Amino acid sequence: MSDAQHSDLLDPFEERLTAGLHDAGNAFETDRAALVTAGALKGRRRLLRRRNAAVMSGAAGIALVGVGGALLLPSGDPAKGRGSAATSTLASASAPTPVSADTLTRTLEHQLVVGRGGTYGEFTKIEARGTDEGLSPYVRLVFNDGKGAAAVSVTMDRIQPGSDDARQITTCPGKAFTHYDACGTSRLADGSVVMVLQGYEYPDRRVDTKWWNAELVTPQGQHVSLNEWNAAAEKDSPITRPQPPFSAAQLRKVAASKIWRDAIDAMPVNSNSPTTPSSSSTGAAVSVTSTLRTLVPKGLAVSEAGDPGDTGFGYLVVDDGKGKTLVQVNVQADMADVEGELFGSDAEVLADGTKVATHQGPGEKGGTGVVMWTVDTMRPDGSRVVISAFNSGAQDTAATRKSPALTMKQLREIALSPKWR
Amino acid sequence: MRRQERADAYEEFAAARAGHLYRSACLLTAGDTHLAEDLVQETLGKLYVGWGRLSRVGNPAGYAQTVLTRTYLAHQRRRSSTERATDLLPDLPDPGASGADTPLRLTLLQALSRLPAKDRAVVVLRYWEDRSVEETADVMQVSSAAVRTRCVRALGRLRELLGENLDEYARP
Repeated sequence: MSDAQHSDLLDPFEERLTAGLHDAGNAFETDRAALVTAGALKGRRRLLRRRNAAVMSGAAGIALVGVGGALLLPSGDPAKGRGSAATSTLASASAPTPVSADTLTRTLEHQLVVGRGGTYGEFTKIEARGTDEGLSPYVRLVFNDGKGAAAVSVTMDRIQPGSDDARQITTCPGKAFTHYDACGTSRLADGSVVMVLQGYEYPDRRVDTKWWNAELVTPQGQHVSLNEWNAAAEKDSPITRPQPPFSAAQLRKVAASKIWRDAIDAMPVNSNSPTTPSSSSTGAAVSVTSTLRTLVPKGLAVSEAGDPGDTGFGYLVVDDGKGKTLVQVNVQADMADVEGELFGSDAEVLADGTKVATHQGPGEKGGTGVVMWTVDTMRPDGSRVVISAFNSGAQDTAATRKSPALTMKQLREIALSPKWR
Repeated sequence: MRRQERADAYEEFAAARAGHLYRSACLLTAGDTHLAEDLVQETLGKLYVGWGRLSRVGNPAGYAQTVLTRTYLAHQRRRSSTERATDLLPDLPDPGASGADTPLRLTLLQALSRLPAKDRAVVVLRYWEDRSVEETADVMQVSSAAVRTRCVRALGRLRELLGENLDEYARP
């Protein structure tokens, strides 16, 4: 801060406003550790969804809420499926009972001991927040059944039913992007969808800390995230046991416990509750992966493909017989406000006003010898198509060939195709 | 930077900045602590993803503030495209969290809540973050002239709403 430096230039009202803002702002306190943990979890989900490679440069302006596949519709009238989660919650529970931090903690402890058929468990580093504290509830602790300490956490929030987010959270990531041992998504009798992922804390496996995770989304938009590790902390903590405490089946069952949903229902409805998805945020609902399939040069064998329901991001792993190439595409609407950041003064401008920028450089995910070739385009209406190709089937595995199977010219043609409109 | 060092550096950065980001977000949202928390989580999530590159460009704290402001503005844009304007005030801070005697703080937050989102962002960047007009323009990706216009308008509105209320903060 350079208050002193600026204050000379301020009029008396501005000075008082500055003082007033500092007084008001500094009065706000929160659980910082919880914020950091939740932020890292969000980041991890983002990584899983692989929106980062081409997106990060404009991340600040991106809206990820969209109209995607309506996998999760509230039961009953599908026409009401786009209603807000907040409304559904209000309608279904007029006066939800608050759920305390203690209750959440006891529930998790019970599941860890009795739920796993055991009789003994030691709990340390317990942190929890109930619904009576105004913010999203969570519980996290370190559990030891005598076989080694393990960090376990549950977080709860609301999400827009039927949104891209709801679908992506419960969709297993592509193997091209994430190493994991097993992943499966199942639908429960009440219409909830739950994904259980048995993966690793570090994508590059420099330490084999296991991170197992269940993500459950109900038709009402209740979202429960259960996470566990075979170490006493997510990172920088030695492996203490071969596996995290809950098995995959137990993760699925515990994530579906009613108490977490009760807690979500008891969360205050606030102005940030998910609202009707905006159709403008991700543009036209075109499957990116399916469109990409129609645009890659003929004669390439496709060995892996992204989620055809995703209208913002898609990828293919292709092979021309000389090694695998990962090709990924991001499609975004309303990006005009970050145009200056993405396209420098040296960007090419086509006759119709479309801007084109190209980058050829090393990959960013640690794969040995991996290069990343990118063509970034933005049309005058602010719609952006970014395509990147790698000389490997994944960004974090070693190069399988000298250069990607597609040339920059081919990437450019794909990005500029009218099919994205 | 080696990977482990990078992970450590992120953790350290997030832990050190989370409090300030949250307070900034509380002012941007005029005291809507739920939304503020979500915005900070979203911001930290974005930084987590781009940390490798980010940690090399320098001034990650400034960049974090930029991401927060833009995340807030994007949120407001989404809301405004799907919702009509409302006179309802957002949740005000929990009195327990901000001390018992906070009428002035509440008045200030209420006044902030009456400003359009972009005007509020300008006020927060200029008078809470102490950014210059040019820096504010960079963060918001608008011209310096637009920042000046918004700033004059916002100050006029705040003078009107707050009147003599801020006199308590007058320098002796």
